[in-house]
Amino acid sequence: MSEDDNERQRILKARAVALAREPEQGAAEESRIGIVEFLIADERYAIESAYIGEVYPLKHLTPLPCTPAYVLGVINMRGKILSVIDLRTFFDLPDRGLSDLNKVIVLHDGAMEFGVLADAVIAARWIPRSVLLPSLPTLTEIRAEYLMGVTEERLIVLDGGKLLSDRGIIVHEEV
Amino acid sequence: MQWFLNLSTKSKIICCFSFMFVLIAIVIVTAYLGITATTQSQKDLFHENYTVSLDLVELRSDQNRARAQLLEMMMTGDRSKQQALDRDIRERSGDIDKLLKELAAAQKDDQRFMADLQELVTVRDTYRNIREEQIRLILGGKIEAARQLGLGPQEERYGKIRDTALKLEQLEKDQAKQRLAQSEQRTRKTLVIFLLVGVAAIFVSTAMTLAMNKAIANPLTEIAAIAEKIATGELDVNVPADGRGDEVGILTRTFRRMVENIKGHADTTRRIAAGDLSGSVTPQSERDVMGNALAVMGRSLRDITREIIEGVNVLASSSSEIMASTNQVAAGATETAAAVSETSSTVEEVKQTANVSSQKARTVAEAAQKAVQVAQVGRRSIEESIVGMGRIQGQVEAIAESIVRLSEQSQTIGEIIATVNDLAEQSNLLAVNAAIEAAKAGEQGKGFAVVAQEVKSLAKQSKEATAQVRTILNDIQKATNAAVMATEQGNKAVDEGIRQSMEAGKAIRQMGESIDESAQAAVQIAASSQQQLAGMDQVALAMENIRQASEQNVTGMRQVEVTVQGLHDLGQKLKDLVAQYKV
Repeated sequence: MSEDDNERQRILKARAVALAREPEQGAAEESRIGIVEFLIADERYAIESAYIGEVYPLKHLTPLPCTPAYVLGVINMRGKILSVIDLRTFFDLPDRGLSDLNKVIVLHDGAMEFGVLADAVIAARWIPRSVLLPSLPTLTEIRAEYLMGVTEERLIVLDGGKLLSDRGIIVHEEV
Repeated sequence: MQWFLNLSTKSKIICCFSFMFVLIAIVIVTAYLGITATTQSQKDLFHENYTVSLDLVELRSDQNRARAQLLEMMMTGDRSKQQALDRDIRERSGDIDKLLKELAAAQKDDQRFMADLQELVTVRDTYRNIREEQIRLILGGKIEAARQLGLGPQEERYGKIRDTALKLEQLEKDQAKQRLAQSEQRTRKTLVIFLLVGVAAIFVSTAMTLAMNKAIANPLTEIAAIAEKIATGELDVNVPADGRGDEVGILTRTFRRMVENIKGHADTTRRIAAGDLSGSVTPQSERDVMGNALAVMGRSLRDITREIIEGVNVLASSSSEIMASTNQVAAGATETAAAVSETSSTVEEVKQTANVSSQKARTVAEAAQKAVQVAQVGRRSIEESIVGMGRIQGQVEAIAESIVRLSEQSQTIGEIIATVNDLAEQSNLLAVNAAIEAAKAGEQGKGFAVVAQEVKSLAKQSKEATAQVRTILNDIQKATNAAVMATEQGNKAVDEGIRQSMEAGKAIRQMGESIDESAQAAVQIAASSQQQLAGMDQVALAMENIRQASEQNVTGMRQVEVTVQGLHDLGQKLKDLVAQYKV
């Protein structure tokens, strides 16, 4: 019983510390960007929240024939048909064991809208623009193209606008 | 003579009969020739002499008649009658002419006859001419002139004609006589020849018959006599060697070979009868019945005798062995008699021992009865323990059921936890969406962002809690599984226990039965010990009898020894007998 009390005390204290943190300064308002952080194959990625409509659990995926390998299929999201893309295949990442891939992050910019699969959505938060470092030289070409930057915590921030405007995403195939 | 003997019998017979036919033919020819000659001479006699004589007689008769008619013409005065007579005389004269011509033709070879005939013809011609003159005178009526003319020379001429005709007749008669004599002589000669040839034929036929008899019948009779001897079994005969080439010679040679063959077989038979079986008989051919039979007989006798010899040898050696064995048996019988005496005393001791064992058997029977009671108690205990084991099994099964229910319920709990986890996940997503919306709202959404953060935190906590519950549930499930396993093993152990108890019960039951049987056996042993005791008395009595019997045995064996000695002697005698046969 005493252990439970201690644990509770610790949690409460941690919450208090978190709440007691001072909000960031207004001067830094311009250089902050809102991101949504998520996991794909044990790697942390993030996309600007400006391009993100919402997150949605993956249910009733309908595979589409005659599409590239990275187009997994379409889902019905509250009456709206949405195509779903697997970034692992799109970025030519190696298959690394099992992954859940049961979350859909809906990207949109008014002209284009599609879903990206993720293992888990970690959080939506703000980061200063200054923490973004230029891309790593080891990254392959295609990943480098869509990269906005990498933080010191090895968080890969993708450029949502580029993803949405990429012509390669649009599938126009006749059989 | 040898060539005749060498001829075959058929040739001989044909030869003899041919010869006889020739003789008969000669006789026939001789007779025929004689008879033919006689016939010819008679024919000649008739033609040459008899006919001529008749003709001459007729001639004379005609001449006489003509003369008579002339005289009648002279006598009668009747003119017509004279003319008729004239015609008659002319006719007669024609007949005489014809006869004369015939005679001349028939006897033209006879010179004497022809000379006389010529004279007669001449005289007659003259006579006829004068007669013609007479007839003319008569017819002219000058009968006296005619009568004058008729006397004298005319009368002589007439007598000369008659004499000449008579002379010719006589001549012919003489000739006929001569011919008759000749014919008679020839007939006699023919008869003589015929007789001579007939006699010769008879003689030759007789000689031939005798020769045939000698050539064929005599040798056959000899062979028949020898065959008669052989038929009576006498073989000491001698068939003469004969080089003749005919059937008799062949018969003789074949008969000789047959006799030699039979003699050879007789020798072989005599040899076999004498006991010499060593020689072998070679049959002359496949169809030599007797030779083959003798060969087979020799072989069979040889085989049989050999077997007999072997048998006799075996018999002799066996009788020796039997004799030795009998000696041993006799010695054994003596020893047996001694042993039987010892045994009798031993039997007495055994009787004492049987008495003791009878008492012991009674004690054992009582002990066995007690063991039976103990076994019954043990059996009851085992049955109770089996019932107890059954109860334990029922309880273990109840425990197993409870644990299975527990396991199912923890499964349900796991499902509930999964649902809660899902809810936490959805809450998390909701929080993220709220945060995104808050970010879109800008400054107005800041408070909402805090709420979202809080919701997220709650979701995280509930997730951690479910993880803890899941861990605990896993432990529970493991423990449940272990319990299930343990229950299962307990169940098996109880089964095993029941089985073993059953086996133990069975074993105790069998033990009880065995003890029962042992007890019964002990009772029987006690009873039989009693009987044994009684039996031992009888044994002692019997041993006495055996002792007497073995003494009789010894006596009997002596007699057997003597008998076997006799058998042995018989075997030796047989051996000597058989040794006479040479195989």
